[in-house]
Amino acid sequence: MNFFQQLGTLFSTPRYWEMLMKGLGTTLMISVFAAIIGLVLGTLVAMVSIAKKSRAMAVPKFICNFYVTIIRGTPMALQLFIMVFVIFAIRGFPRELTAIIAFGINSGAYVAENIRAGILSVDIGQTEACRALGLSSTKTMTKVVIPQAIKNVIPAIGNELIALIKETSIVYMFGIYDLTMVATIIGGGNEMSSYLVPMCVAALFYLGIVYLLTFFISLIEKRLRASDKR
Amino acid sequence: MISVRNIYKSFGDLKVLKGVSTEIQQGERVVIIGPSGSGKSTMLRCMNLLEEPTYGEVWVENSLLTPIDPYLHFDVIKLSNTYKSLFSQLVAEGKSEDVAENEAIAKIKADDLLKKNEGKEYKLAIKSLEKENRIDINLARQNMGMVFQHFNLFNNLTVIQNLMLAPVELKLKTKEEAEAEAMKLLKRIGLEDKRDEYPSKLSGGQKQRIAIVRALAMNPKVMLFDEPTSALDPEMVGEVLDLIKELANEGMTMVIVTHEMGFAREVGTRVLFMDEGIIAEEGTPSQLFDNPQNERTQRFLKAVL
Repeated sequence: MNFFQQLGTLFSTPRYWEMLMKGLGTTLMISVFAAIIGLVLGTLVAMVSIAKKSRAMAVPKFICNFYVTIIRGTPMALQLFIMVFVIFAIRGFPRELTAIIAFGINSGAYVAENIRAGILSVDIGQTEACRALGLSSTKTMTKVVIPQAIKNVIPAIGNELIALIKETSIVYMFGIYDLTMVATIIGGGNEMSSYLVPMCVAALFYLGIVYLLTFFISLIEKRLRASDKR
Repeated sequence: MISVRNIYKSFGDLKVLKGVSTEIQQGERVVIIGPSGSGKSTMLRCMNLLEEPTYGEVWVENSLLTPIDPYLHFDVIKLSNTYKSLFSQLVAEGKSEDVAENEAIAKIKADDLLKKNEGKEYKLAIKSLEKENRIDINLARQNMGMVFQHFNLFNNLTVIQNLMLAPVELKLKTKEEAEAEAMKLLKRIGLEDKRDEYPSKLSGGQKQRIAIVRALAMNPKVMLFDEPTSALDPEMVGEVLDLIKELANEGMTMVIVTHEMGFAREVGTRVLFMDEGIIAEEGTPSQLFDNPQNERTQRFLKAVL
């Protein structure tokens, strides 16, 4: 069987289709929920780390700093191992959920740094002008700084989401039935007995998701950039 | 109106202000000049607490903006443990009480002897003074307009939104009132056709004039100008200065930091010359520009005029 014959077999066998769709579903589910956790967690951590230094904030600041340092300083695969085999090593605990939590926590650290950088990139003069008019620091943040920061943050967040989707492929090491796992199962089967075709198809699926995501992000960016057309 | 009392400001090891005091009366137009790095912008920014003084107090209309500086209050110093022990020591040395009192206070002030913990009485005295006089900084700032060197219009808002943001968010005006007032102000500067533009589309002169009316939209009692024309192309300096002069003629109280000497002379009722963190000389424009007494003032004016 040559490449194209194999491709034909893959697409004409309903069982393979079902498997691919199921794998795609798992990949998307892990990515979407992890992204939600990451965005929420990242925003919270960013807020803490840009807050003014004070006695009340010392402990939260330390925790956030510790979290970001550890997560960014260790490999994702290792974090997943620890989550699966140590922290959530509970019989019957769904591995998909463990993966969602692990990727969410990982993503949160990167999102936090992106958001922090975005907020710091807004000219301090904007804050000063707002405060000089008598507006509180909260109003200054919500009305002036964050709307401007979002524009700077969106491309970086998009980048992070893209990386996240692709990184979820390592869950196949833990027997989770995602797109990559499906490709290896199909490729290892007797009918196909070749990894090339299923791997290429899985790659196309990833590419398709990322392409769609990129498209939506550029749409959002375009809308947000309305205020700085020159 | 604004009273700056003995303020010091350091950024790390760099001492920018070294004991500045001045009073700004209602209707006065005080111009601050001086070489760069002399602390004039820092002093202006201390007036609305964009910069927090390291020592000293800022009062606006009899309300305190900064924490109490104990060194400025003899009765507070006298409650401190350091004073008490120093006083009894001096009395024991055979000095009369009056002399001992003066000497103790003088020594404490000169050698910066007050510590963080000076006893309960002292702490209570400071607390009650602050409770009596200190005002919420956001409230105080509503009455003090500020104009920046780099305009600092809100980039995410249109011109009219820039003017309406503070009055509406602070619930001083309804949206409709704020919009009507904003349009009136834009008409005044002839930029009503720019109402829905974003700041990035405006020229520097337009931005600065809008920044000025944005401050005016709050009906401030005093306006602070921090080098309002320094970031402008030369051909746009005139339009901004004209607007400031107009405000001056209407009797607005102003404090202006500027490098435009001609403008300083024309608009100011009093000129402060700052150098190396202190007010080196002050007087009316004609006194200071035509007959400067201080040697540093003379040198500076010679260089810039």
